[in-house]
Amino acid sequence: MEIKKAIITAAGPTQRTLPLQTLVDRDGKAKTALQILLEEIGAAGIEDICVVVGSGDASAFAAAAGEGGARRLTFVEQREPLGYGHAVHCAREFAAGQPVLLLVGDHLYVSGGPRRCAQQLVEAAEAEDCCVSAVQATHESKLPYYGAVGGSLVPGRTGMYLVSQVLEKPTPTQAEQELIVPGLRAGHYLCFFGMHALTPAVMELLGEQLSEADPGRTHLSQALARVARRERYLACELRGRRYDIGVKYGLLAAQLALALDGDDRDEILSSLVELLARRGRG
Amino acid sequence: MAKLLQLITSSEPGLRDRALADACAGMTATELLGECAELDQFRRRAENLYERARALFFLYAIHRFHLPDALSPAGRKGGRIPFSGYQHLLRRRFEEAIDRFLAAQAAEGPNDAISSALAAAYHRLAFQTLADQVRRSVRSVRGNQWMFRMGHPADQPLRVRPELLRPSPEDGAFPILRECAPVRMDLTHCGWSDIFFLGMDYPEGAKVLNVSIDLGVHGRDAGTRPPVEAYLRVIEEPVLRLASVDLGVSADLASLAEVFDFAKDYLGLLKAAVIAAGVVPPGIEGSGQSLAELLARMAGPGRGLELVSRVNDIPKGSRLAVSTTLLAALVSVCMRATGQAASLTGPLLEAERRLVLARALLGEWLGGSGGGWQDSGGIWPGMKLIEGVAAGAGDPEHGISRGRLLPRHRILGTDEAPPETRRRLQDSLVLVHGGMAQNVGPILEMVTEKYLLRCHSEWEARQSMLGILGEILEALKAGDIRGIGAATTRNFQGPIQTIIPWATNLFTETLIERVRAEFHHDFQGFWMLGGMSGGGMGFIFSPPVKARAQARLREIMSEAKRSLQHALPFAMEPVVYDFAINEHGTRAELLEGEAALMPPGYYPLSVPALLRQERRSLPPGRRAELDKFAAACRTRPELGGMVRTLFDLMLPRAPAGAEEAGSLAALLEAHGFDEVQHEQIRADLKAGRIGLSQNRLPASATLEDARPEDVAELDASRRAACAETGLAALRRGEAAVFTLAAGAGSRWTQGAGVVKALHPFCRLGGRHRTFIETHLAKTLRLSRRAGVEVPHLFSTSYLTHAPIEEFLRARGGLGHPGPVLLSPGRSIGMRLIPTARDLRFLWEEMPQQVLDEQQQKVRDSLRQALIGWARSAGEGADYTDNLPGQCLHPVGHWYEFPNLLRNGVLLRLLELRPALKYLLLHNIDTLGAELDPALLGWHMESGRGLNFEVITRRLEDRGGGLARVNGQLRLVEGLALPREEVEFGLTYYNTNTCWINLDVVLRAFGLNRDELGDEDKVTRATRALAFKMPAYITLKEVKKRWGQGQEDIYPVAQFEKLWVDMTALPGLSCGFLSVPRWRGQQLKDQAQLDGWLRDGSADYVESLCEWPPDR
Repeated sequence: MEIKKAIITAAGPTQRTLPLQTLVDRDGKAKTALQILLEEIGAAGIEDICVVVGSGDASAFAAAAGEGGARRLTFVEQREPLGYGHAVHCAREFAAGQPVLLLVGDHLYVSGGPRRCAQQLVEAAEAEDCCVSAVQATHESKLPYYGAVGGSLVPGRTGMYLVSQVLEKPTPTQAEQELIVPGLRAGHYLCFFGMHALTPAVMELLGEQLSEADPGRTHLSQALARVARRERYLACELRGRRYDIGVKYGLLAAQLALALDGDDRDEILSSLVELLARRGRG
Repeated sequence: MAKLLQLITSSEPGLRDRALADACAGMTATELLGECAELDQFRRRAENLYERARALFFLYAIHRFHLPDALSPAGRKGGRIPFSGYQHLLRRRFEEAIDRFLAAQAAEGPNDAISSALAAAYHRLAFQTLADQVRRSVRSVRGNQWMFRMGHPADQPLRVRPELLRPSPEDGAFPILRECAPVRMDLTHCGWSDIFFLGMDYPEGAKVLNVSIDLGVHGRDAGTRPPVEAYLRVIEEPVLRLASVDLGVSADLASLAEVFDFAKDYLGLLKAAVIAAGVVPPGIEGSGQSLAELLARMAGPGRGLELVSRVNDIPKGSRLAVSTTLLAALVSVCMRATGQAASLTGPLLEAERRLVLARALLGEWLGGSGGGWQDSGGIWPGMKLIEGVAAGAGDPEHGISRGRLLPRHRILGTDEAPPETRRRLQDSLVLVHGGMAQNVGPILEMVTEKYLLRCHSEWEARQSMLGILGEILEALKAGDIRGIGAATTRNFQGPIQTIIPWATNLFTETLIERVRAEFHHDFQGFWMLGGMSGGGMGFIFSPPVKARAQARLREIMSEAKRSLQHALPFAMEPVVYDFAINEHGTRAELLEGEAALMPPGYYPLSVPALLRQERRSLPPGRRAELDKFAAACRTRPELGGMVRTLFDLMLPRAPAGAEEAGSLAALLEAHGFDEVQHEQIRADLKAGRIGLSQNRLPASATLEDARPEDVAELDASRRAACAETGLAALRRGEAAVFTLAAGAGSRWTQGAGVVKALHPFCRLGGRHRTFIETHLAKTLRLSRRAGVEVPHLFSTSYLTHAPIEEFLRARGGLGHPGPVLLSPGRSIGMRLIPTARDLRFLWEEMPQQVLDEQQQKVRDSLRQALIGWARSAGEGADYTDNLPGQCLHPVGHWYEFPNLLRNGVLLRLLELRPALKYLLLHNIDTLGAELDPALLGWHMESGRGLNFEVITRRLEDRGGGLARVNGQLRLVEGLALPREEVEFGLTYYNTNTCWINLDVVLRAFGLNRDELGDEDKVTRATRALAFKMPAYITLKEVKKRWGQGQEDIYPVAQFEKLWVDMTALPGLSCGFLSVPRWRGQQLKDQAQLDGWLRDGSADYVESLCEWPPDR
């Protein structure tokens, strides 16, 4: 399987402006979060990108993508807030039956190494020839924020899991009963990283879900749970960390992570030390 | 390999299920000790839990039942128990205790005393081992584990569901989530096979047919409904607000410590539910973190949760698992509210029901209780077969126990229990609550022990029960209700009572007898619900007579209760239920807008406090609630009468209990209450001049054990010679028996205030017998043997006189040919609220048996609450907040002999038996005591005023003994011992059985038999001697009953003077005689009964009795 398309979702009522925020990237240049994401995707060899936005947001996003970026983008509007799964499904025509890389618009990724996170995921999906979600071992207290998977280690592989169950924002009770993964520390679960390499089956399943009577808010996790039953579906722990810029101080943490991973590392460290020293004298 | 070890390790069922008693039969002491050594080694290395537990129970049983009989005469005489071992035992350091006792056994040789200590240590370690495993299993159930990891509010992963966080746009009130659950009844009585220690070792034998039912109290409620309700809502205050409508209590908890303080109030069950549901996870206990932050994490800043419980006034002790069902319903509503169930409303999924069960078990453990797994059965719908499941690979129990902690529930379909059968069952069965409340804890321990020992008859009974279950299932399928009745009756009369004879009692037997006599063939069967009878029971009738049977049963139960109320501890008036099978199990609904109201009983708890506050100072949510409640009072029929209720609550009324206060005063006056002495005691108590620590002899007193020559012992030839003397004296009418029956038997029924003498404690000679009947049966046999009518005296008190008199009158003196005289008390005391100092001394200074971790926590919390109660009620104040009879106390058995002089009974007896010279005085619970002619002969020959019988000490014999105090040989009460360890150096324990030479003792009072008619002189003489006797302050337990079968136990202070202190009286000659244990042991606690029945004691007593023909 070869992944040539990517989808970024940014239609959620609370995240519509997040990709428009400006940060200083690893190279010392000021960019919007959206631009940083586009570079992440670009590093994975993908040029054809669709952004799912809320009604009327396309122009703002186009501006935030910069001249070079906007040319590569297709905008699709999600007109009603019917859930994350619905947002993804809005891009079905863009996907056109092809596998896609899916990213959330309110996360930034720092790999700390030469291979960026999206690249790692795309390579894994292409090598395994199946649907792969990036995951990160997460403490159970964070379960209310994420989808999580249960499964078992793929024999002979580090950080690669065969998924058997997917639950959206599980309670710790459910997680303990259904999502225990051998090898993880107690109280830790494989939670989504905000990045998935999806096979066309996922779009089909989302479509099925949406066509059901009274689908309510449609979650991607439900479709992924069905994928797990239908075909081989893996979860992969990537080298890198995700930063949710939608939470309190999320933007600051992401900024610091980017800066400490880039060219201006020493300058930032000096500033931090000075800040701490002044505070200490204080 | 050792013989007994094979019983544990063999894979062959025939060998593994062989009774230990059979295998031990005929073994010598040396062989038994060899087996013990092997078993002890084995249990130390065994990895399998049940093999270890079984080895421990074997060791216990050998030391308790088999070895003492096989010991050499020297070993049987007793030995010393090392105090350090006893201290280990109290601190629950069982391994260390066992090692210490084994070392003593090796050093001094095996003996009765050390075996009793080893038996106790092995027994407790066995139960601790099992309890630890159940606890581990409960914690390791998937879905429970995370709660033990969570120690900080920031880690709380639960969130209140958004539906509950949206206030109503009209009035700002939050919606209320209401869970309604049926209770369960056990259609088979499963032989307690669902208790964990059984179910986890013998899953194939753990089977229960369990039915979910709605309930109503016949004649009170309009119909049936799921009796258990739990309500939850979000509140705009950062507290956990808990309320129990039935117990009439509510509290706002603002700190985590309060949530874990279980016994502080009556809200322990709600607290356990909040914790077990993960709202306040158990892992956060003791973290010092903030409850408000935790609640904010779940429900938003400044918000809290309110949880309300209601069981529709179903009385406690119904045997329908009301409290476990309530716990489960509370857990369920909390889980739904925090997204731990898929659906906020409606029924639960099977996986969720199982989780609720696991959480309810956790909650029970947290609350320091716990029964079996069937008690949450009401969560499931309809009829279901619940079965133990073998542990397989992947289960946390695998390799540890044979069975899993949690059973499997299979709901019976209409093919297995057709709707018509269900309807007919409802039309036939009358469910009742007999009014008795019993502690089933000891029963569960006995059942476990007998199972693990594979006691022969009990094991067979267990097998036959499984057959009866099959019969009942078949009868259900066939719609044969009469067949079900026959099977449940057979189950009750056969296997259940074979396993636990105490499962029935005279009250139950009386009911069955009367119902059968009145309804003949229309009475189709008796059905015992749950742990013991006397509380919840079922009677099956032909459908046409059911309505009449319901009406009559209430009357029959009330009559039987009236006739037995002095003998058995009734907690309440019996009730008859209406019931219907509930085919839904637990369900929840969301009450929104106008419908968002708490149950009616909630408002009298909460509204008065709100009305007393300035309306403006109330938070908006509370104001809105008041408005909504006011509007609902005008429109909702279920809130009719609420205005009157609130009016009564808020406006002062005449002080409650004025009538009772009057009757208390009358009782005091009628029974010779000495006001001056009472005030003196109060003043001394408050000033600290008397108290528990002042009971003790001075620390400078020297106490030494009695020397061998201090204690007489009769060998066979001496016995024979003395018997002739004694028998001749009996024939001359020189002796009588004096049984002390004035006491309330505080330990026997935990202060229930019933007459111990009239308690039908055991089936002897084919019928339930009271203590008084048993003593008279011994005297009857003796009378026949001696050919003379031996008189029998019973001392009585304000509490016991009228009931004993009525009991004897109604039974024509129990067929006793000789004179039976009652000696009414002439002194009475009034109980006092204890001082905090004495409570602390008792609980903190005196050696205490530490309980299992969680139970100890609950006990500590309760004790703090009781110390608080004593302080707020006034230390040293009169205890009057109870029934009048419960506020008084007899003043100790020293007074019983003087009473005999003052009330003229001795004079009367001397008129009947002018030759009378000797009395045998003994406690009501010393069942083996009898007027043995050999001992009488010995007493006569000794010429002493008093001869006391003593026995060699076992571990359980606590309370003083025979000692040389500053060189003088005397009996010392446990209360008076200056140090605890002194008791362990005393070989002999006092039985309080005493031979009295009348003339010598009268002389000690300064009297002779001719002066007994001089009332003034007798009074002066007895007062003068009373003054010389020490008075002890004791703390006794007293029950206070309230609500629907609820009971609280309070410690109260009272004073006592004791007969044994006569041994310290200068100038009165006293002797001491060592007697066998069977003769001297006392039955103080009902938990002793089972061992008493099994170790030959009961057979011994029966051999002394001749039962008069039934009248």
